[in-house]
Amino acid sequence: MSVPAPFGRGAGRGEDEEARARDGPVLESMSTPAGDPPPGEALLAARGLALGYGGAPVLRDVTLTIGRGDYWFLLGPNGSGKTTLLRALLGVLPPRAGALARHPLAAPAHVGFVPQRAALNPTLPTTVGEVVRLGLVGVPVARAERPARLDEALAHVGLGGMAARDFWALSGGQQQRALVARALVRRPRLLVLDEPMSGLDLVAEDRLLPLIAAWNRERGLTVLYVTHEIALARRYATHVCLFARGTVIAGRRDEVVVPANLAAAYGVAVDDEAEPADAGGEAPG
Amino acid sequence: MIAEFAASWALFGHAYVAGWLIAVLLSLLGVVVVARDQIFLGAAVSQAAVLGMALALALGSAPGLHEQDWMHADWTLLLAGAACAVLGALATAGGGRRAGESHEAITGWVFLFASCFSVLLLAHSPHGMDEINRLLASTLIGATGSDAYVFGGLVAAVVAVAVAARDRLLLLATDPEMAGAVGLRVRAWNRGVSVALGLAVGLSIHVAGVVYAFGCLVLPALVAKSVCREVRAMCWVAPAIALAGAVAGFVLANHHDLPPAQATVGLLATVLAVAWVIARLRSARAA
Repeated sequence: MSVPAPFGRGAGRGEDEEARARDGPVLESMSTPAGDPPPGEALLAARGLALGYGGAPVLRDVTLTIGRGDYWFLLGPNGSGKTTLLRALLGVLPPRAGALARHPLAAPAHVGFVPQRAALNPTLPTTVGEVVRLGLVGVPVARAERPARLDEALAHVGLGGMAARDFWALSGGQQQRALVARALVRRPRLLVLDEPMSGLDLVAEDRLLPLIAAWNRERGLTVLYVTHEIALARRYATHVCLFARGTVIAGRRDEVVVPANLAAAYGVAVDDEAEPADAGGEAPG
Repeated sequence: MIAEFAASWALFGHAYVAGWLIAVLLSLLGVVVVARDQIFLGAAVSQAAVLGMALALALGSAPGLHEQDWMHADWTLLLAGAACAVLGALATAGGGRRAGESHEAITGWVFLFASCFSVLLLAHSPHGMDEINRLLASTLIGATGSDAYVFGGLVAAVVAVAVAARDRLLLLATDPEMAGAVGLRVRAWNRGVSVALGLAVGLSIHVAGVVYAFGCLVLPALVAKSVCREVRAMCWVAPAIALAGAVAGFVLANHHDLPPAQATVGLLATVLAVAWVIARLRSARAA
């Protein structure tokens, strides 16, 4: 795989930083938009990324390759830079240095995004159907095909027939499933979830996570899942990106999730099966 | 009442049409303002437009510029107001982030700075103070046929953009994080919305004054928010309410010899109060 020349070096704080972040180089050896790359072939490749906001560096020397069909967990304590890396991979935050290359199938039209929680103004009137329909922004879908897409996405998350329901009348778990449906209505090749279970109960978690794992296994959907919960990574991840001391340790789960790396990430000795005591909380990484 | 209103058309027809077009234009933009919960932005941008006009009036009496005819032309006031309103809208959209301050803080600063300096600049100019008081009091009587054409063009442009990019605008207004994640250039869109808002408010202030512009920006969208089940419905309900309110307000004002801007805004504010009560009763019944 060839990695293009560094993109965004020294860039990022001007007029078009969003455009630069998004319109980075494509992975040259894989620029075949006619079909999916074979399983395991790279959708996103980062080499030596440095990321930060304003004058504050957050991450340095980030190197990882995300292949088609991988199930990546971005794992680390609060404030370690998980969401920052996610923003860079999504093309929202330009890197200060290094190279970030993306396959055409990791372009925004093929990406589904699930935030921690709905960023909607809670006083606004909206329905489940409207929330999910807005997920089609930037995806070329014929008007006639839209209702079928909406029904399909809602059915996938167990909210079939609830398109007309008031979004704010749903439980927290149902709202989060509606946000997953908003991502799925795009029929993404890359599904990005930023601590989607934060603040939700175990029932909601138990319904959603096996579903995502099934799509990953059966449909080759590539998943990036941000969390601070090691147990989830142990159960579902094929690959893990562990955030430690301002950089990352990335690779196959069994090679990365080992006591030495976990201790480096969380700053305390972590039992191979236990959660670190300070891993909880609500703040984004 | 209607016959009386029809009889006044020959004298005030241009003012009526301009006022209705302003109501439709601002209520459409108001959906974005209300969706973002940035109501006070309308007041700040209106006041910034007044500051621009005060600046033009103050410069018009300065030595060296006083003799220039163009300094006293109507369009100079218009452009100065629109320019300051655009700057005010852009400052509230992006200035807070750069200054490390909240959007509310920057909006409050724009409002207070513009309110004070628009008066201070003209404190020793009786003519200028009269003009500022006219803008703050809101009167539509002076609107001309040209104003009607200008606002007709602006309404057409905003409707065209709203129809072509409705879902993108709704996503940007309701969930900018998701909008950025799916590839929209959030900052560029925000700047575009700020420029449109500044231009529309700035130009409207010159014709209709602060109360009418601010009222038409936020009240119809707030009423629509109370009665609609989806944000997308607000996009046509808000302008419909604005137009109906402005028509009824002008007819009532003509019949009772009242200022039309205040009559319209007062009517819309009353409708909003009723809508809130109905929404409250409806949610209590549902619970």
